[in-house]
Amino acid sequence: MATLRLEHLTKHYGRAPQVVRALDGVSLEIEQGEFVAVVGRSGSGKTTMLDCAGLLMRPTGGRILLDGIDTGRLGDGERADLRSRRIGFIFQEFNLLPTLSAIENVLLPLRYSGADRRQGRRRAEMLLEEMGLRDRASHHPSELSGGQQQRVAIARSLIGEPTLVLGDEPMGEVDSETAGMLLGLMRRINRESRVTFLIVTHDLDLAARTDRIIHLRDGHLIDDQRVQREGSSAPEAVLVGAA
Amino acid sequence: MEILRNLWRRKLRTSLTVIGIVMGIFALTTMGAMAEHFDTLLAGGITYYSNTVQVADANSSSGFGGGYMDVSTLAQIQRVQGVLAVSPGVYVTAKPGSTDVVSMGVPDFIANLDPNWNHYSPLKLSLAQGQWVNDASRYQVDLGSSIAAEFHMKVGDTLALPVRPNDAQPGFVNHDYTVVGILNPTLTAPDSGAYVSLHDAQTMEGDFLPTALQGHVDPYQLVTGAVVYAQPGVNLDALATRINAEVPTVEATKPSTLVSAFKSGGAVFTFMTTAAALLALIIGGLSVVNTMLMSVSERVREIGLKKAVGARTRHILTEFVAEAGLIGLIGGVIGYLLGLALTILLNGSDPSGGLFLVTPGLTALAIGFAVVLGAFAGLLPAIRAARMDPVSALRNQ
Repeated sequence: MATLRLEHLTKHYGRAPQVVRALDGVSLEIEQGEFVAVVGRSGSGKTTMLDCAGLLMRPTGGRILLDGIDTGRLGDGERADLRSRRIGFIFQEFNLLPTLSAIENVLLPLRYSGADRRQGRRRAEMLLEEMGLRDRASHHPSELSGGQQQRVAIARSLIGEPTLVLGDEPMGEVDSETAGMLLGLMRRINRESRVTFLIVTHDLDLAARTDRIIHLRDGHLIDDQRVQREGSSAPEAVLVGAA
Repeated sequence: MEILRNLWRRKLRTSLTVIGIVMGIFALTTMGAMAEHFDTLLAGGITYYSNTVQVADANSSSGFGGGYMDVSTLAQIQRVQGVLAVSPGVYVTAKPGSTDVVSMGVPDFIANLDPNWNHYSPLKLSLAQGQWVNDASRYQVDLGSSIAAEFHMKVGDTLALPVRPNDAQPGFVNHDYTVVGILNPTLTAPDSGAYVSLHDAQTMEGDFLPTALQGHVDPYQLVTGAVVYAQPGVNLDALATRINAEVPTVEATKPSTLVSAFKSGGAVFTFMTTAAALLALIIGGLSVVNTMLMSVSERVREIGLKKAVGARTRHILTEFVAEAGLIGLIGGVIGYLLGLALTILLNGSDPSGGLFLVTPGLTALAIGFAVVLGAFAGLLPAIRAARMDPVSALRNQ
C-alpha cells in the first residue's frame, strides 16, 4: 500500500475569469520508505502540492490517500489528528518556538496527540542524540545555529513516529555544507526507519541524492524520475528518466 | 510554563495589563470588604429585628427609644395575645455628646443585659472570657468585642461609663465599672455594646434625665423600650398592630418596616461592590483584550505551526484563553493582596475594629472574578487565533 497517493489533484485560486491553477490534475503514488524530491520553478505548484499532501489545505478536486485513508472525507479535527500521528513537517525557516527549549520543541506535536509524556520524552532525548544535539536539549532556538535548529526541527518531525515527513525547502536557510549534512541525516533516518520523505527543493544537486525526483511546471507533473546509483555507497547519482 | 514564558516575553505589555487588572480587583476587594462589613452588620440587624417586636414610648419618634416607658407597661404588653415574653430595655449612649468621632458603624451604646433573655433572642451572645453580668451585678460590665478593643479592655480592668466627652457639661456623671466579661464578636451591632445590669442601666438613665425631671421620677421605674418575643407561629407584624391597639401608650414597630429599611441600606453596599466590579471589568477587561489581540497577531506563525503539527481548534483556543486567564489570575492575586493589606492597615488604625471585612467569599469572588474576566476577555482573540488557516498562518511574515 502506498504511503501517499494523489489522484487528479487540482487546486485553483481566485474566481473566473482570473483563476490560478496551482495544481492541475497531478497524480502520483509514493511508496513506503521512498525519499522523493519535488523540483520546479517558483509558482510551479510544489508548495501547494506539499500543503495538500500534508492536509494543511483542501484541494479543489481529486483525492489524497494517506496510508490508504481517503482524507477528503475527514473533518478538520480528524485531519489535525492524522497530521499529529502520521505526518511530520520540516519548514525552510525551522519554525521553532522561541520560548521553548530544543527538547520542548521536539515534544510539541505530542502535546496534541495525547501520547504518553514519559515515553515521548525518552524518544525526544533519543532523537536529539541521533541529531548530535544531546548537549543542546535545554538550549533555546536563539542559542542554536541554523543547522542545529533545523536538526531540532527534523527531530520534531519524527517524534510522532510518522509514516510521511514533508519538507518545504528544508535546506533553504543553511549553507551548502550544512545542507548536505542535513540531507545525509534525513537519508539515514529514511533508510533505518523506512519513513517516507517528500521534500521540495530548488537545489538539483540535493535532489539528485534522493531516490526519485518529481518535476512540476505550471501545476502539472511533467517528469517523474527514479535516481539510479552506481553502487549503494556512491555519493554521486545518475539520473534515469522514468516519466 | 510555556504560558508564563509567553507572557514574560513582553514584560512591559504584560505588566501594564496586569496593572489594569490589579487596579480593578484592588477596588473590588476594598469596596467589597466595606460592603461585606455592612452587609454582616445589616444581616445581624435583619435576623434580630425580623424575629422581635421593638416597643417604645408612643411619644418617641421611633422604636429605638428617645422617650421613657413606665415598667408597669411591660405587664400590659405581656397580656396581649401572642406575646411570649417582654424584655425591658434601657439604652443609653456610651459617648454622650461625642462630636469628635465620625463613625460609619454602630455608635457605642450601653444597654441592660440579663443572660436569661439570651434564650429568647434570635441573636445569641456568648462570652469570650469572664462571666455574665446579672440582675444583682453593680458597677460591673460585659463588653462587646469592638468596644473592648477600642478601649483596650480586658477582664478585671475598669472603665468609666458613660465615657466623659471632651466637651462635658458641668454636672456630667459617670461611674467606674469593672469589666467582668468580654463577648465573642458577632460582627454586628452587639459588638459595640457595653452591658450592665438593669439596675445600673437605670441608674445611668436617671443621670441622663432632664434636670426638670430629676428628683421627681424614679428612674428605676422607667425603661427606654422593650423587646417583645412572640409565641411560635405568631405573625409579628400582626402582633405589633395588636400591641398598638391594646396598649395605646406605646408604639410597637412592625418588624417588616425595620427589615425593609435594613435591606434598602444593604442595596447601597451591593451597588458599591457592583460598581467596583464594573470598574475592574472595564479597565482590566479592555487591557486583556488589547494585549491578547496583539499577542495573537504577533504569533500567527506559531499558531500555524501548532495547527500543522496537529493542534485542533480547541487546543489553540484553550492555550490562549488559559494565557488570558493567567493574566487575570496574576492581576487578581496582586490586586486582592494589596486590597487585603490596605483593609488590614485601616482596620488596625481604627480603634473600633474598622470598616472592612474580608471574608472567604470575597476572596473567592475577587480572584475568581479576575480569572473569569481575563479568560472571557481573552476569548475573542483566542477564537481569532483558533480559526486561522494553517497555511496562511505559516506563510505570515
